[in-house]
Amino acid sequence: MTKALNHVMDALDVETFLICDTEDEARSLALELMKEMGFNDIDVVNLDFLGVGARVRARAYIHRSGDEYGWLKMDKEVKLDD
Amino acid sequence: MTEIKKVLLAPLDPVHDIGLKMIRRGLEEAGHKTYLLPPDLPVEEIIQEIIDKEAGTVLISRTLGYGVAELLSRFVDLVDASGLRDKVTLGIGGMAVRPELAAELGFDAGFGPGTTVEQAVAFVEGREISKEDTGVKKDKQDITSSYSYKFINKSMGNKLEQVAGQIRKWAKDKTSPGVKRAVAREELWDVGRWRNRKGNDEFDKEYPHLCGEQPKNYYLKGELHPKTRRFTREEVIALEEFLQETKERIMLSKVQHVKSRPVIFNQYGTGCPFMDIGHIKASEAWGADGVVHFDPSWGARTEGFFDGFLTHQEDGTVITPANLNRIHGALEPSTLWQVRAHRGLNTPETVILAGKLGADMTKINMCYGSLGAGTDPERLTVDGYHAIRYAIQYGMSFDVVTNEELAGVPAHKAFAGMLIVSTLGVMLGGKPILQPLFAYSPEAMVGEQMEGNYVDFNAAKIYALKNIIDAPIWPGAPIGFLTQTEDRVQSAMSTGLHACLASSLGVDAISIASSDEAYSGGPISVPSKTDTLKAVQEGFRFFGSTGISPSGKAEQWGERLVSEIDKVIDDVLQTGDFVQALYDGNLGTREEGAYPGRAGRDTVEHTVT
Repeated sequence: MTKALNHVMDALDVETFLICDTEDEARSLALELMKEMGFNDIDVVNLDFLGVGARVRARAYIHRSGDEYGWLKMDKEVKLDD
Repeated sequence: MTEIKKVLLAPLDPVHDIGLKMIRRGLEEAGHKTYLLPPDLPVEEIIQEIIDKEAGTVLISRTLGYGVAELLSRFVDLVDASGLRDKVTLGIGGMAVRPELAAELGFDAGFGPGTTVEQAVAFVEGREISKEDTGVKKDKQDITSSYSYKFINKSMGNKLEQVAGQIRKWAKDKTSPGVKRAVAREELWDVGRWRNRKGNDEFDKEYPHLCGEQPKNYYLKGELHPKTRRFTREEVIALEEFLQETKERIMLSKVQHVKSRPVIFNQYGTGCPFMDIGHIKASEAWGADGVVHFDPSWGARTEGFFDGFLTHQEDGTVITPANLNRIHGALEPSTLWQVRAHRGLNTPETVILAGKLGADMTKINMCYGSLGAGTDPERLTVDGYHAIRYAIQYGMSFDVVTNEELAGVPAHKAFAGMLIVSTLGVMLGGKPILQPLFAYSPEAMVGEQMEGNYVDFNAAKIYALKNIIDAPIWPGAPIGFLTQTEDRVQSAMSTGLHACLASSLGVDAISIASSDEAYSGGPISVPSKTDTLKAVQEGFRFFGSTGISPSGKAEQWGERLVSEIDKVIDDVLQTGDFVQALYDGNLGTREEGAYPGRAGRDTVEHTVT
């Protein structure tokens, strides 16, 4: 995980508009986009397809409850400027 | 006393000088001498004005983005060339300005969008800007204090008092495993000794034997609940550091605009007290006035509490003394804290723990807990009665939620139950808060009361309650339930509009959802909480002291609700036994979605007198 991602409290949402032919394609593209960005714990929170394309919000959970949180400074330093 | 400064304010824009005018007013109120130049003067003329007015401070504003670096650079060069640089303090602000640009160009300070007048005045006076200058000062509010709890509808009030009296008489000589644990927690568990790690020996010896299997195994064998783990020492130290730094930096804001009510609550319960604390601090900064603790659903069906500082990998943060204590320690002094006790087998003990650990409010309703949340009606009536007494003992108000509406129980039946429990609360000396739902409930979906708008039926509920009793009203939970979608703009908008309706109807508090309310694929994220706080804040800014006008239907439906509630109370009175009325469906039938719960069945005992 990059150091900036350590600072995300819980989830990182990516919002965009995808040019596509169907809702299914939009969903696949949104998940693919998140994978291309290097995220694994991903989901599509919201998707509106109205023919022109899809307004989409995809999500990657960076820290889930019970994880070790990167934003807590434990043995490792998480400041961006070090 | 602050030295009087001569301040020249110069808009380097064709027209935009509103910000400088506001700052001028602030400076003049602080006693400084100001000179506001007209917009768009050539920089040479501004330099001459600085010389002529002998200004010690110059504030430049620039809103338009194009050519900003070149223009400001030229201005600074001219200040240097005219020998003024050592004599004046230069500040620059406006939409086009970023602090890093200002520093790069040689200004003493740069103020971007969102700068307050107080910050500009502090700069002119050479003061460090403090949290007191920028933050909002908030006080903890008691939303019950102005209410008499007198019945407006005397006839209904008389009947409610008869039912409440029957419950009181029936419950006072009964006990249960939940009440026994509550007595042990009350009498044998000293919070001061616990905080000082001195132990409560008698309690520690007795408590495990009052618990169900899982908590008992925890105390006797050290077995944790399978979905929980203890925090490590390193994590705890890191949390303390995070919290200390956050508390020093936090800037509180207010959601309300011109009215002080409704007070805004949001809920937390991510499963992890650390994550909860992160969410709570963000909620406080974005304007939440209160927070509500959500525990896991299995907690309601477990006899007894675990102990220790525990994180949980699923929704709902486990109630333990250590978890509650840490969360309480993280709150700002103005933040109201509610720990829900309403629905399960630990109801009275939850109230005591919450009270001993500093909670302001709790939540108790035997009707919802037994008809919509799985606890046996007889058991929860005994536990609820004692829970109300403990809430009074610890000075906590409590809301009486009506979430059985979400299962399909019509509003008038849920309200009858709420009014019975509230009347019992008042009779015992408590301060109940009515909590009607602002929701697109199954009743409204089938009955089409919300087909045309979401206003009238919600307004009818408030009209009805206000015509029955003079008591605080806190719609929840959360407002707009089942109107929100996974689209965060729609979701935040819907919450915002319901909040504005609540404000317009003059209620005392609201619980608001996050914009993740309708998303079920994962935990609620912290930005989704700031989304709705922002939306509500903007709604309150938009409506100010004006309001929303419901149609005549709201009055009609309100009147109908009152008569339907009255009829339900008659039915309960006729049964002559509140617990039996719960089993019999007087306050919600199985067909309507109310199923008397089974957890804790046959555990009620008579006390030995």
